[in-house]
Amino acid sequence: MLASAIALGDNPIVPVHVEMAKLRDRVREQLRERIVSGCDVHAFEDPEIFDEVEALLHAAASTSDDGGLILPELLGTPDEWRLTTSMRYQSHRTRGPAALFAFVKRNILMPAFRWLFEYSRDNFERQRRMNLVLFACVQELAVETAQLRRDVRRLSPPAADTDRSGSLQRPPTEP
Amino acid sequence: MKLAFVVQRYGADIAGGSEGHCRELAERLSTRHAITVLTTCATDYVTWENASPAGQSIENGVKVLRFPVAHPRRMQIFADISDEVFDSQAPHERQVEWFRENGPATPELLEHLKAHGHEFDLVLFWTFRYYQSYFGLPLVAKRAILVPTAEEDSAIDLDALGEFFDKPAGYLFMTPEERDLVSRRALHPLRASAVVGIGLEPVPVGDTPRAPIDRLNIPSRYLLYLGRVDRNKGCDVLLDSFQDYAATRADVTLVLAGPAKMQIPEHPQIRALGYVSDEVRLALLAHATALVVPSPYESLSIVLLEAWNYGVPALVNGRCKVLAGQVQRANGGLYYMFPSEFSEATDYLLTQHVERDALGRQGREYIEREYRWATVLARVEDLMQQVHASCERTN
Repeated sequence: MLASAIALGDNPIVPVHVEMAKLRDRVREQLRERIVSGCDVHAFEDPEIFDEVEALLHAAASTSDDGGLILPELLGTPDEWRLTTSMRYQSHRTRGPAALFAFVKRNILMPAFRWLFEYSRDNFERQRRMNLVLFACVQELAVETAQLRRDVRRLSPPAADTDRSGSLQRPPTEP
Repeated sequence: MKLAFVVQRYGADIAGGSEGHCRELAERLSTRHAITVLTTCATDYVTWENASPAGQSIENGVKVLRFPVAHPRRMQIFADISDEVFDSQAPHERQVEWFRENGPATPELLEHLKAHGHEFDLVLFWTFRYYQSYFGLPLVAKRAILVPTAEEDSAIDLDALGEFFDKPAGYLFMTPEERDLVSRRALHPLRASAVVGIGLEPVPVGDTPRAPIDRLNIPSRYLLYLGRVDRNKGCDVLLDSFQDYAATRADVTLVLAGPAKMQIPEHPQIRALGYVSDEVRLALLAHATALVVPSPYESLSIVLLEAWNYGVPALVNGRCKVLAGQVQRANGGLYYMFPSEFSEATDYLLTQHVERDALGRQGREYIEREYRWATVLARVEDLMQQVHASCERTN
């Protein structure tokens, strides 16, 4: 009898979302075991901790655009931080020579070195994607931290003092 | 109704997906409507060189008007402007210039639309990214239906598209994901639209002879990739992932059927067949263990529908929303985001025979429900009637 299928006479129904959930569970567990046994990361001996961390990073890695991210806004004008992957045909020279240099760059140098430019551009594109994922990771962690702070504040007795950043003050140390 | 179909290339020998969609609809609807196809003399989608004679012809009962391309695509300029507009917030006029350089530049087609567009009840435009749609549609916007065939690639993010996507009186989409994508890019809620896809004829499942692929020594268990073998289609990632998986199993082969546009590694479990005849293609599809679709960008995967038509399940790139959405709606396969998921999913399809067959059968049932021509044409007709009625009211 199929464990995963809903039996309906000779034609069992196999729901894709159920199969995918089980498949992902298996992949996650294999990864956890590999990390725990191969890299000695003790925090992941607890499957629940691993699942939570994996879910958070998975959400960040699935980010496809920066529309919902705060960091790009805070970094200021994109010209100052965003990776530029296009070639700008500019020259600091005066108008006539500048046009000549731009012509040489565009029509002679660029065609000859286009393969190198495209190789670099592909790598910059990868870096750009990594930056996006890292932005998303930082934001996910910041959201989690903010939620935890709020919960801790809510659960703390009214007398408990907090500093301006919201973190709990350290208890007095024993003499 | 009197309809104009505007498309970048047209003809039985044109392989493109949107061109094929346009031709299939034109030929099937021509029994009920007076259709004129307005297209270019180009047959090559890279160069746009004029290849077919300009002027009028009748092809499979459809009137076709071809207009000459003013100049082939200027590769250097196009590459430069693509770098510029896809990399940064290029100004509006540079983005518009990108559409001009993308071509096929056919000012005579635009002149024809200006002069005669009002004579048609509706004008349907295929593919948002080309010259004839971007510059032609605004000329007849009140009676225009756009078939965007939009994918989640760089072009869809151009700001210049916001206004453009607001213009048509109606839209025909390939999938719900494509509709959502275009809705997000338009400045206002879309007018009338329908998700139609493409139709398929039923095929006799289980009757397709294996002889054509036996002659090529194709083993009994194989994953099939069908189409251009190209990095842009995700084939580099597929080949890497498959080689990792193949290191653990010697009894599975990846068969690639299509022209190679990239280096294919020498590997005992990878068979690259290049171009194949229709007979071989159909036999490959009918007897595959699963079809693999690794593409990160799709507006509709026709080959995926073809595989389901044969009851073959699919393994698709889950990062492509359209592919993952199709597989989920059909219950017709699995999807992967990472190499480890690819290996696990491949293993499942190779070892869980009953589930594999069930996924294939569910895919075929989905085709029966959604992608037979009668269903597709009824949806197109409904949308056209709706848009036409709305045009009439406006006039």
